[in-house]
Amino acid sequence: MARTLTEKKGWIGRIFFADLLSGLRLTLRYMLSRTITHRYPDHEKWVPYERHRGHHFMKTNDEGEVNCVACELCSQICPCDCITVIPFENEKGDRRPAVFDINLARCLYCGLCEDACPADAIKLGQEYEVACDDRPKLVVHLDDLVAAPRKAGDGGRLQAARLDKDRQQRSTATGGAGGRDWWQYIRKGK
Amino acid sequence: METFLTLLPMLVKMAVIVGVLLLLPLPLTWLERKIAAHIQQRPGPMRVGWHGLLQPVADAVKLLTKEDHIPAEADRRLFAMAPVVALVPPFLVFTAIPFGEPVEVFGTEVPLMLSDMNVGLLFILAVSGIGVFGTILAGWASNSKYAVLGSLRSIAQMISYEIPMGFSVIGVVMLANSMNLSQIVAAQQGLWNIVLQPVGFFVFFVAGLAEAQRIPFDLPEAEGDLGAGYHTEYSGIRFSLFMLAEYLVVVMLAALNVLLFFGGWNGAPFFLPDPVWFLLKTGFFVWLFMWFRFTFPRYRYDQLMTIGWKVLLPLSLLNILVSGILML
Repeated sequence: MARTLTEKKGWIGRIFFADLLSGLRLTLRYMLSRTITHRYPDHEKWVPYERHRGHHFMKTNDEGEVNCVACELCSQICPCDCITVIPFENEKGDRRPAVFDINLARCLYCGLCEDACPADAIKLGQEYEVACDDRPKLVVHLDDLVAAPRKAGDGGRLQAARLDKDRQQRSTATGGAGGRDWWQYIRKGK
Repeated sequence: METFLTLLPMLVKMAVIVGVLLLLPLPLTWLERKIAAHIQQRPGPMRVGWHGLLQPVADAVKLLTKEDHIPAEADRRLFAMAPVVALVPPFLVFTAIPFGEPVEVFGTEVPLMLSDMNVGLLFILAVSGIGVFGTILAGWASNSKYAVLGSLRSIAQMISYEIPMGFSVIGVVMLANSMNLSQIVAAQQGLWNIVLQPVGFFVFFVAGLAEAQRIPFDLPEAEGDLGAGYHTEYSGIRFSLFMLAEYLVVVMLAALNVLLFFGGWNGAPFFLPDPVWFLLKTGFFVWLFMWFRFTFPRYRYDQLMTIGWKVLLPLSLLNILVSGILML
Protein backbone atom coordinates (compact mmCIF):
# COMPACT_ATOMS: atom_id res chain seq x y z
CA MET A 1 0.00 0.00 0.00
CA ALA A 2 2.43 2.60 1.18
CA ARG A 3 4.59 3.74 -1.63
CA THR A 4 7.71 5.71 -1.06
CA LEU A 5 8.67 8.01 -3.86
CA THR A 6 12.11 8.78 -2.51
CA GLU A 7 14.35 8.04 -5.40
CA LYS A 8 17.82 9.42 -5.29
CA LYS A 9 17.63 12.76 -7.01
CA GLY A 10 20.62 14.82 -8.06
CA TRP A 11 21.57 18.15 -6.61
CA ILE A 12 19.09 19.91 -8.88
CA GLY A 13 16.30 17.88 -7.32
CA ARG A 14 17.69 18.68 -3.88
CA ILE A 15 17.62 22.42 -4.58
CA PHE A 16 14.04 22.34 -5.83
CA PHE A 17 12.89 20.06 -2.99
CA ALA A 18 11.95 17.12 -5.19
CA ASP A 19 11.43 14.93 -2.14
CA LEU A 20 9.14 17.38 -0.40
CA LEU A 21 7.18 17.89 -3.61
CA SER A 22 6.70 14.17 -4.11
CA GLY A 23 5.36 13.98 -0.56
CA LEU A 24 2.96 16.80 -1.31
CA ARG A 25 1.91 15.10 -4.54
CA LEU A 26 1.11 11.92 -2.67
CA THR A 27 -1.02 13.66 -0.04
CA LEU A 28 -2.76 15.70 -2.71
CA ARG A 29 -3.71 12.52 -4.50
CA TYR A 30 -5.04 11.09 -1.26
CA MET A 31 -6.95 14.31 -0.62
CA LEU A 32 -8.72 13.98 -3.95
CA SER A 33 -9.36 10.26 -3.74
CA ARG A 34 -12.44 8.73 -2.20
CA THR A 35 -12.62 8.07 1.51
CA ILE A 36 -12.42 4.43 2.46
CA THR A 37 -13.78 4.35 5.99
CA HIS A 38 -17.05 2.62 6.82
CA ARG A 39 -19.74 4.89 8.20
CA TYR A 40 -20.64 2.27 10.75
CA PRO A 41 -23.04 1.93 12.64
CA ASP A 42 -25.69 4.40 11.48
CA HIS A 43 -25.09 4.55 7.74
CA GLU A 44 -23.25 1.48 6.58
CA LYS A 45 -22.46 -1.94 7.85
CA TRP A 46 -19.80 -4.38 6.74
CA VAL A 47 -20.97 -7.86 5.81
CA PRO A 48 -18.16 -10.25 6.70
CA TYR A 49 -16.88 -12.94 4.42
CA GLU A 50 -18.09 -16.53 4.66
CA ARG A 51 -14.86 -17.50 6.42
CA HIS A 52 -15.62 -15.04 9.22
CA ARG A 53 -16.09 -16.69 12.61
CA GLY A 54 -18.74 -14.73 14.48
CA HIS A 55 -21.73 -15.49 16.70
CA HIS A 56 -22.60 -19.21 16.56
CA PHE A 57 -25.79 -20.51 15.01
CA MET A 58 -27.52 -23.89 15.03
CA LYS A 59 -28.61 -25.57 11.82
CA THR A 60 -32.04 -27.16 11.62
CA ASN A 61 -33.32 -30.02 9.43
CA ASP A 62 -36.36 -30.02 7.15
CA GLU A 63 -38.80 -30.73 9.99
CA GLY A 64 -37.51 -27.73 11.90
CA GLU A 65 -35.64 -29.79 14.46
CA VAL A 66 -32.12 -28.86 15.36
CA ASN A 67 -29.42 -30.97 13.78
CA CYS A 68 -27.61 -31.32 17.07
CA VAL A 69 -27.50 -34.85 18.49
CA ALA A 70 -26.13 -33.64 21.84
CA CYS A 71 -22.98 -35.73 21.51
CA GLU A 72 -21.12 -33.04 23.53
CA LEU A 73 -18.05 -33.27 21.29
CA CYS A 74 -18.10 -29.50 20.89
CA SER A 75 -18.12 -28.91 24.60
CA GLN A 76 -15.28 -31.46 24.96
CA ILE A 77 -13.05 -29.84 22.37
CA CYS A 78 -13.81 -26.25 23.38
CA PRO A 79 -10.50 -24.79 24.61
CA CYS A 80 -12.20 -22.33 26.93
CA ASP A 81 -14.94 -24.59 28.15
CA CYS A 82 -17.74 -22.26 27.18
CA ILE A 83 -20.29 -24.73 25.75
CA THR A 84 -22.74 -26.51 28.04
CA VAL A 85 -24.79 -29.35 26.52
CA ILE A 86 -27.33 -31.45 28.44
CA PRO A 87 -28.96 -34.18 26.30
CA PHE A 88 -32.44 -35.67 26.50
CA GLU A 89 -34.46 -38.17 24.45
CA ASN A 90 -37.41 -36.69 22.60
CA GLU A 91 -40.73 -38.43 21.74
CA LYS A 92 -39.31 -39.83 18.49
CA GLY A 93 -36.51 -41.47 20.41
CA ASP A 94 -33.83 -39.10 19.09
CA ARG A 95 -31.07 -37.74 21.26
CA ARG A 96 -31.37 -33.93 21.31
CA PRO A 97 -29.99 -31.16 23.51
CA ALA A 98 -32.21 -30.10 26.37
CA VAL A 99 -29.79 -27.30 27.14
CA PHE A 100 -27.30 -25.88 24.67
CA ASP A 101 -25.65 -22.81 26.19
CA ILE A 102 -22.66 -20.93 24.82
CA ASN A 103 -20.96 -18.34 26.98
CA LEU A 104 -19.89 -15.76 24.40
CA ALA A 105 -17.89 -13.87 27.02
CA ARG A 106 -15.53 -16.82 27.25
CA CYS A 107 -15.65 -18.01 23.64
CA LEU A 108 -12.59 -17.18 21.58
CA TYR A 109 -14.27 -17.93 18.24
CA CYS A 110 -11.68 -20.53 17.24
CA GLY A 111 -14.18 -22.64 15.32
CA LEU A 112 -13.09 -25.98 16.83
CA CYS A 113 -16.70 -26.78 17.77
CA GLU A 114 -17.62 -26.39 14.12
CA ASP A 115 -14.85 -28.81 13.14
CA ALA A 116 -15.74 -31.35 15.81
CA CYS A 117 -19.47 -31.44 15.14
CA PRO A 118 -20.45 -34.78 13.51
CA ALA A 119 -24.02 -33.69 12.75
CA ASP A 120 -23.38 -30.43 10.85
CA ALA A 121 -25.20 -28.55 13.59
CA ILE A 122 -23.10 -25.89 15.28
CA LYS A 123 -21.56 -23.26 12.99
CA LEU A 124 -20.00 -19.86 13.38
CA GLY A 125 -21.94 -17.20 11.52
CA GLN A 126 -21.66 -13.59 10.37
CA GLU A 127 -22.99 -11.77 13.41
CA TYR A 128 -20.26 -9.76 15.12
CA GLU A 129 -22.14 -7.30 17.29
CA VAL A 130 -22.33 -9.11 20.60
CA ALA A 131 -21.49 -6.29 22.98
CA CYS A 132 -24.00 -5.70 25.77
CA ASP A 133 -24.26 -4.06 29.16
CA ASP A 134 -24.84 -7.16 31.25
CA ARG A 135 -22.62 -10.21 31.34
CA PRO A 136 -25.31 -12.87 31.91
CA LYS A 137 -26.86 -11.72 28.60
CA LEU A 138 -23.78 -13.08 26.87
CA VAL A 139 -24.81 -16.66 27.64
CA VAL A 140 -26.89 -17.60 24.60
CA HIS A 141 -29.33 -20.48 24.59
CA LEU A 142 -30.57 -22.95 22.00
CA ASP A 143 -33.38 -20.76 20.64
CA ASP A 144 -30.98 -17.81 20.29
CA LEU A 145 -28.63 -20.04 18.31
CA VAL A 146 -31.39 -21.21 15.98
CA ALA A 147 -32.46 -17.61 15.38
CA ALA A 148 -28.92 -16.26 14.90
CA PRO A 149 -27.88 -15.08 11.42
CA ARG A 150 -26.28 -17.65 9.13
CA LYS A 151 -22.99 -17.40 7.28
CA ALA A 152 -23.00 -14.57 4.76
CA GLY A 153 -22.94 -16.04 1.29
CA ASP A 154 -22.09 -12.71 -0.32
CA GLY A 155 -19.68 -11.21 2.18
CA GLY A 156 -17.19 -8.44 1.58
CA ARG A 157 -19.61 -5.61 0.80
CA LEU A 158 -21.05 -2.61 2.57
CA GLN A 159 -24.76 -2.44 3.24
CA ALA A 160 -26.92 0.51 4.11
CA ALA A 161 -27.70 0.34 7.80
CA ARG A 162 -29.25 2.27 10.64
CA LEU A 163 -28.68 2.40 14.36
CA ASP A 164 -31.23 0.24 16.14
CA LYS A 165 -32.15 1.76 19.50
CA ASP A 166 -34.27 -1.23 20.55
CA ARG A 167 -31.56 -3.80 19.98
CA GLN A 168 -29.10 -2.20 22.42
CA GLN A 169 -27.86 0.37 19.88
CA ARG A 170 -26.81 -2.22 17.35
CA SER A 171 -26.60 -1.59 13.67
CA THR A 172 -29.25 -3.14 11.49
CA ALA A 173 -28.84 -3.55 7.77
CA THR A 174 -31.67 -1.81 5.94
CA GLY A 175 -30.74 -2.49 2.34
CA GLY A 176 -31.41 -5.88 0.85
CA ALA A 177 -28.80 -7.89 -0.97
CA GLY A 178 -26.26 -5.93 -2.96
CA GLY A 179 -24.55 -2.95 -1.39
CA ARG A 180 -21.34 -1.42 -2.58
CA ASP A 181 -18.07 -3.17 -3.05
CA TRP A 182 -15.77 -1.55 -0.57
CA TRP A 183 -12.54 -2.81 -2.05
CA GLN A 184 -12.85 -0.88 -5.29
CA TYR A 185 -12.13 2.35 -3.43
CA ILE A 186 -8.91 1.14 -1.88
CA ARG A 187 -5.89 2.57 -3.64
CA LYS A 188 -3.87 -0.31 -4.95
CA GLY A 189 -0.14 -0.03 -5.25
CA LYS A 190 1.22 0.28 -8.76
CA MET B 1 -22.97 65.18 13.01
CA GLU B 2 -20.22 65.90 10.50
CA THR B 3 -17.63 64.09 12.55
CA PHE B 4 -20.02 61.20 13.03
CA LEU B 5 -20.53 60.87 9.28
CA THR B 6 -16.79 60.74 8.72
CA LEU B 7 -16.39 58.25 11.52
CA LEU B 8 -19.24 56.01 10.42
CA PRO B 9 -17.45 54.15 7.61
CA MET B 10 -14.52 53.55 9.93
CA LEU B 11 -16.78 52.16 12.66
CA VAL B 12 -18.59 49.92 10.19
CA LYS B 13 -15.31 48.61 8.84
CA MET B 14 -14.01 47.94 12.33
CA ALA B 15 -17.16 46.10 13.32
CA VAL B 16 -17.08 43.98 10.18
CA ILE B 17 -13.39 43.09 10.52
CA VAL B 18 -13.57 42.23 14.22
CA GLY B 19 -16.74 40.23 13.72
CA VAL B 20 -15.38 38.29 10.79
CA LEU B 21 -12.07 37.64 12.51
CA LEU B 22 -13.78 36.38 15.65
CA LEU B 23 -15.93 33.99 13.65
CA LEU B 24 -13.24 32.95 11.20
CA PRO B 25 -11.79 30.07 13.27
CA LEU B 26 -15.14 28.27 13.07
CA PRO B 27 -14.98 27.52 9.34
CA LEU B 28 -11.20 27.17 9.53
CA THR B 29 -11.27 24.41 12.16
CA TRP B 30 -13.87 22.63 10.05
CA LEU B 31 -11.67 23.03 6.97
CA GLU B 32 -8.59 21.83 8.78
CA ARG B 33 -10.31 18.74 10.10
CA LYS B 34 -11.76 17.96 6.70
CA ILE B 35 -8.37 18.35 4.99
CA ALA B 36 -6.70 16.21 7.64
CA ALA B 37 -9.37 13.58 7.18
CA HIS B 38 -9.29 13.49 3.42
CA ILE B 39 -5.50 13.24 3.33
CA GLN B 40 -5.93 10.20 5.56
CA GLN B 41 -8.78 8.92 3.36
CA ARG B 42 -11.51 9.32 5.94
CA PRO B 43 -14.53 11.63 5.73
CA GLY B 44 -13.86 13.63 8.92
CA PRO B 45 -16.75 15.16 10.85
CA MET B 46 -19.97 13.98 9.21
CA ARG B 47 -22.59 13.73 11.94
CA VAL B 48 -23.26 17.30 13.09
CA GLY B 49 -25.00 19.11 10.29
CA TRP B 50 -24.40 18.63 6.59
CA HIS B 51 -20.93 17.07 6.24
CA GLY B 52 -20.21 18.16 9.80
CA LEU B 53 -20.57 21.86 9.05
CA LEU B 54 -21.97 22.52 12.52
CA GLN B 55 -19.14 20.65 14.21
CA PRO B 56 -17.19 23.87 15.03
CA VAL B 57 -20.29 25.22 16.77
CA ALA B 58 -20.48 22.09 18.88
CA ASP B 59 -16.76 22.41 19.61
CA ALA B 60 -17.19 26.03 20.60
CA VAL B 61 -20.03 25.19 22.96
CA LYS B 62 -17.91 22.46 24.48
CA LEU B 63 -14.92 24.76 24.96
CA LEU B 64 -17.00 27.58 26.41
CA THR B 65 -18.77 25.37 28.93
CA LYS B 66 -15.63 23.61 30.13
CA GLU B 67 -14.04 24.36 33.46
CA ASP B 68 -11.59 27.24 33.26
CA HIS B 69 -8.81 25.62 35.21
CA ILE B 70 -5.87 27.56 36.66
CA PRO B 71 -3.07 25.48 38.13
CA ALA B 72 -2.52 25.97 41.87
CA GLU B 73 1.07 27.21 41.59
CA ALA B 74 0.47 29.38 38.54
CA ASP B 75 0.93 33.13 38.42
CA ARG B 76 -2.76 33.87 38.17
CA ARG B 77 -2.57 37.38 36.73
CA LEU B 78 -0.09 36.53 34.00
CA PHE B 79 -1.91 33.29 33.33
CA ALA B 80 -5.11 35.21 32.62
CA MET B 81 -3.25 37.86 30.61
CA ALA B 82 -1.35 35.56 28.27
CA PRO B 83 -4.20 34.49 25.93
CA VAL B 84 -5.27 38.10 25.48
CA VAL B 85 -1.69 39.18 24.77
CA ALA B 86 -1.46 36.41 22.19
CA LEU B 87 -4.76 37.42 20.62
CA VAL B 88 -4.32 41.18 20.26
CA PRO B 89 -1.44 41.32 17.70
CA PRO B 90 -3.19 39.28 15.00
CA PHE B 91 -6.20 41.59 15.34
CA LEU B 92 -3.98 44.67 15.21
CA VAL B 93 -2.27 43.43 12.07
CA PHE B 94 -5.55 43.43 10.20
CA THR B 95 -5.85 47.19 10.64
CA ALA B 96 -3.07 47.57 8.08
CA ILE B 97 -4.12 44.91 5.59
CA PRO B 98 -5.89 46.27 2.51
CA PHE B 99 -8.64 44.19 0.92
CA GLY B 100 -9.05 45.98 -2.38
CA GLU B 101 -9.19 49.26 -4.24
CA PRO B 102 -11.13 52.07 -2.54
CA VAL B 103 -14.84 51.87 -3.37
CA GLU B 104 -17.45 54.61 -3.85
CA VAL B 105 -20.24 54.46 -1.27
CA PHE B 106 -22.87 57.24 -1.44
CA GLY B 107 -20.47 59.56 -3.19
CA THR B 108 -17.66 59.22 -0.67
CA GLU B 109 -14.54 57.21 -1.32
CA VAL B 110 -14.06 54.45 1.25
CA PRO B 111 -10.70 52.68 1.30
CA LEU B 112 -11.09 48.95 1.97
CA MET B 113 -8.67 49.00 4.87
CA LEU B 114 -8.76 50.46 8.35
CA SER B 115 -5.62 52.52 8.18
CA ASP B 116 -3.56 53.30 5.09
CA MET B 117 -0.20 53.57 6.78
CA ASN B 118 2.97 54.67 5.02
CA VAL B 119 4.87 51.98 6.86
CA GLY B 120 2.15 49.32 6.80
CA LEU B 121 4.57 46.49 6.17
CA LEU B 122 6.88 47.56 8.99
CA PHE B 123 3.87 47.89 11.29
CA ILE B 124 2.73 44.38 10.44
CA LEU B 125 6.13 42.82 11.00
CA ALA B 126 6.57 44.70 14.28
CA VAL B 127 3.13 43.94 15.66
CA SER B 128 3.15 40.29 14.69
CA GLY B 129 6.43 40.01 16.56
CA ILE B 130 4.65 41.02 19.78
CA GLY B 131 2.53 37.91 19.53
CA VAL B 132 5.35 35.85 20.95
CA PHE B 133 4.86 37.61 24.30
CA GLY B 134 1.61 35.72 24.72
CA THR B 135 3.51 32.49 24.29
CA ILE B 136 6.26 33.55 26.69
CA LEU B 137 3.80 34.66 29.37
CA ALA B 138 1.71 31.51 28.96
CA GLY B 139 4.75 29.28 29.37
CA TRP B 140 6.10 31.20 32.31
CA ALA B 141 2.82 31.70 34.17
CA SER B 142 1.72 28.06 33.88
CA ASN B 143 4.53 26.93 36.17
CA SER B 144 4.78 23.70 34.22
CA LYS B 145 7.86 22.12 32.68
CA TYR B 146 6.22 21.38 29.37
CA ALA B 147 4.85 24.88 29.06
CA VAL B 148 8.20 26.50 29.86
CA LEU B 149 10.02 24.27 27.39
CA GLY B 150 7.44 25.07 24.74
CA SER B 151 7.74 28.80 25.25
CA LEU B 152 11.55 28.63 25.33
CA ARG B 153 11.51 26.91 21.99
CA SER B 154 9.03 29.39 20.70
CA ILE B 155 11.23 32.36 21.67
CA ALA B 156 14.28 30.88 19.99
CA GLN B 157 12.26 30.09 16.90
CA MET B 158 10.73 33.55 16.69
CA ILE B 159 14.10 35.26 17.02
CA SER B 160 15.63 33.02 14.39
CA TYR B 161 12.88 33.39 11.86
CA GLU B 162 11.83 37.00 12.24
CA ILE B 163 15.18 38.12 10.84
CA PRO B 164 15.03 36.26 7.50
CA MET B 165 11.35 37.16 7.30
CA GLY B 166 12.16 40.85 7.62
CA PHE B 167 15.00 40.61 5.11
CA SER B 168 12.94 38.66 2.60
CA VAL B 169 10.40 41.45 2.15
CA ILE B 170 13.10 44.06 1.49
CA GLY B 171 13.25 42.95 -2.14
CA VAL B 172 9.54 43.64 -2.45
CA VAL B 173 9.93 47.04 -0.81
CA MET B 174 12.77 47.87 -3.22
CA LEU B 175 10.61 46.97 -6.20
CA ALA B 176 7.64 49.04 -5.02
CA ASN B 177 9.71 51.89 -3.59
CA SER B 178 7.27 51.92 -0.70
CA MET B 179 6.33 50.16 2.50
CA ASN B 180 2.69 51.05 1.98
CA LEU B 181 0.82 47.83 1.26
CA SER B 182 -1.63 49.28 -1.24
CA GLN B 183 1.29 50.79 -3.17
CA ILE B 184 3.10 47.45 -3.07
CA VAL B 185 0.00 45.87 -4.59
CA ALA B 186 -0.28 48.69 -7.14
CA ALA B 187 3.35 48.11 -8.14
CA GLN B 188 2.46 44.53 -9.05
CA GLN B 189 -0.18 45.52 -11.58
CA GLY B 190 1.77 44.22 -14.56
CA LEU B 191 3.87 41.47 -13.08
CA TRP B 192 3.41 39.71 -9.77
CA ASN B 193 6.39 39.78 -7.45
CA ILE B 194 6.60 35.99 -7.38
CA VAL B 195 8.19 36.17 -10.85
CA LEU B 196 10.78 38.74 -9.80
CA GLN B 197 11.33 37.55 -6.24
CA PRO B 198 11.01 33.76 -6.15
CA VAL B 199 13.75 33.42 -3.54
CA GLY B 200 12.21 36.16 -1.44
CA PHE B 201 8.87 34.37 -1.61
CA PHE B 202 10.45 31.08 -0.60
CA VAL B 203 12.18 32.62 2.42
CA PHE B 204 9.06 34.54 3.41
CA PHE B 205 6.85 31.47 3.07
CA VAL B 206 9.10 29.19 5.11
CA ALA B 207 9.76 31.83 7.76
CA GLY B 208 6.01 32.46 7.84
CA LEU B 209 5.34 28.79 8.52
CA ALA B 210 7.79 29.03 11.40
CA GLU B 211 6.23 32.28 12.65
CA ALA B 212 2.79 30.70 12.66
CA GLN B 213 4.32 27.73 14.49
CA ARG B 214 2.80 25.28 12.10
CA ILE B 215 4.13 21.94 10.96
CA PRO B 216 6.92 21.40 9.95
CA PHE B 217 8.02 24.07 12.43
CA ASP B 218 5.58 23.49 15.27
CA LEU B 219 8.21 22.73 17.89
CA PRO B 220 6.66 25.06 20.51
CA GLU B 221 3.64 22.81 20.68
CA ALA B 222 5.11 19.49 19.64
CA GLU B 223 2.49 17.09 20.94
CA GLY B 224 4.89 14.18 20.88
CA ASP B 225 7.47 15.57 23.26
CA LEU B 226 5.82 18.47 25.10
CA GLY B 227 2.23 17.54 25.82
CA ALA B 228 0.77 20.58 24.11
CA GLY B 229 3.65 23.04 24.55
CA TYR B 230 3.00 26.47 25.98
CA HIS B 231 -0.75 25.97 26.34
CA THR B 232 -0.51 22.61 28.10
CA GLU B 233 -2.15 24.02 31.24
CA TYR B 234 -4.87 25.97 29.49
CA SER B 235 -8.43 24.76 29.16
CA GLY B 236 -11.81 25.98 28.12
CA ILE B 237 -12.20 29.55 26.91
CA ARG B 238 -8.58 30.55 27.45
CA PHE B 239 -7.38 27.66 25.32
CA SER B 240 -9.82 28.64 22.61
CA LEU B 241 -8.33 32.16 22.63
CA PHE B 242 -4.94 30.63 21.82
CA MET B 243 -6.50 28.62 19.03
CA LEU B 244 -8.17 31.77 17.72
CA ALA B 245 -4.81 33.59 17.71
CA GLU B 246 -3.16 30.67 15.92
CA TYR B 247 -5.72 30.64 13.13
CA LEU B 248 -5.63 34.40 12.77
CA VAL B 249 -1.85 34.31 12.38
CA VAL B 250 -2.29 31.74 9.63
CA VAL B 251 -4.82 33.92 7.83
CA MET B 252 -2.59 36.96 8.31
CA LEU B 253 0.39 35.17 6.78
CA ALA B 254 -1.69 33.91 3.90
CA ALA B 255 -2.90 37.46 3.27
CA LEU B 256 0.66 38.80 3.45
CA ASN B 257 1.89 36.18 1.01
CA VAL B 258 -0.80 37.23 -1.41
CA LEU B 259 -0.22 40.96 -0.93
CA LEU B 260 3.54 40.85 -1.20
CA PHE B 261 4.16 38.18 -3.81
CA PHE B 262 0.94 37.21 -5.56
CA GLY B 263 -0.30 40.58 -6.66
CA GLY B 264 -2.92 41.20 -4.01
CA TRP B 265 -6.21 41.78 -5.84
CA ASN B 266 -4.53 42.23 -9.23
CA GLY B 267 -5.55 39.96 -12.06
CA ALA B 268 -9.09 39.34 -10.93
CA PRO B 269 -11.31 37.72 -13.54
CA PHE B 270 -13.94 40.20 -14.72
CA PHE B 271 -16.84 38.61 -12.88
CA LEU B 272 -15.18 38.78 -9.44
CA PRO B 273 -14.88 41.95 -7.38
CA ASP B 274 -11.37 42.71 -6.16
CA PRO B 275 -11.84 41.86 -2.46
CA VAL B 276 -13.39 38.49 -3.29
CA TRP B 277 -10.49 37.64 -5.57
CA PHE B 278 -8.05 38.68 -2.86
CA LEU B 279 -9.86 36.54 -0.27
CA LEU B 280 -9.89 33.59 -2.66
CA LYS B 281 -6.13 33.82 -3.04
CA THR B 282 -5.80 34.08 0.73
CA GLY B 283 -7.98 31.02 1.11
CA PHE B 284 -5.74 29.15 -1.28
CA PHE B 285 -2.74 29.91 0.92
CA VAL B 286 -4.61 28.85 4.05
CA TRP B 287 -5.37 25.58 2.30
CA LEU B 288 -1.71 25.29 1.36
CA PHE B 289 -0.66 25.71 5.00
CA MET B 290 -3.09 22.97 6.03
CA TRP B 291 -1.96 20.69 3.23
CA PHE B 292 1.65 21.15 4.43
CA ARG B 293 0.62 20.42 7.97
CA PHE B 294 -0.67 16.98 7.17
CA THR B 295 2.13 16.08 4.80
CA PHE B 296 5.36 16.83 6.60
CA PRO B 297 6.84 15.58 9.83
CA ARG B 298 8.28 17.99 12.38
CA TYR B 299 11.87 19.18 12.10
CA ARG B 300 14.32 18.44 14.87
CA TYR B 301 15.40 21.40 16.98
CA ASP B 302 18.92 21.64 15.53
CA GLN B 303 17.52 21.33 12.02
CA LEU B 304 15.16 24.18 12.79
CA MET B 305 18.05 26.39 13.84
CA THR B 306 20.16 25.31 10.87
CA ILE B 307 17.41 26.16 8.43
CA GLY B 308 16.85 29.53 10.04
CA TRP B 309 20.42 30.74 10.40
CA LYS B 310 22.39 28.84 7.78
CA VAL B 311 19.90 28.63 4.93
CA LEU B 312 17.19 31.28 5.13
CA LEU B 313 19.29 34.16 6.45
CA PRO B 314 22.07 33.90 3.79
CA LEU B 315 19.44 33.31 1.12
CA SER B 316 17.52 36.43 2.08
CA LEU B 317 20.70 38.55 2.21
CA LEU B 318 21.75 37.19 -1.17
CA ASN B 319 18.30 37.99 -2.48
CA ILE B 320 18.66 41.63 -1.42
CA LEU B 321 22.12 41.81 -2.96
CA VAL B 322 21.13 40.28 -6.29
CA SER B 323 17.92 42.28 -6.67
CA GLY B 324 19.87 45.42 -5.77
CA ILE B 325 22.48 44.72 -8.44
CA LEU B 326 19.81 43.94 -11.02
CA MET B 327 17.90 47.11 -10.26
CA LEU B 328 20.96 49.33 -10.71
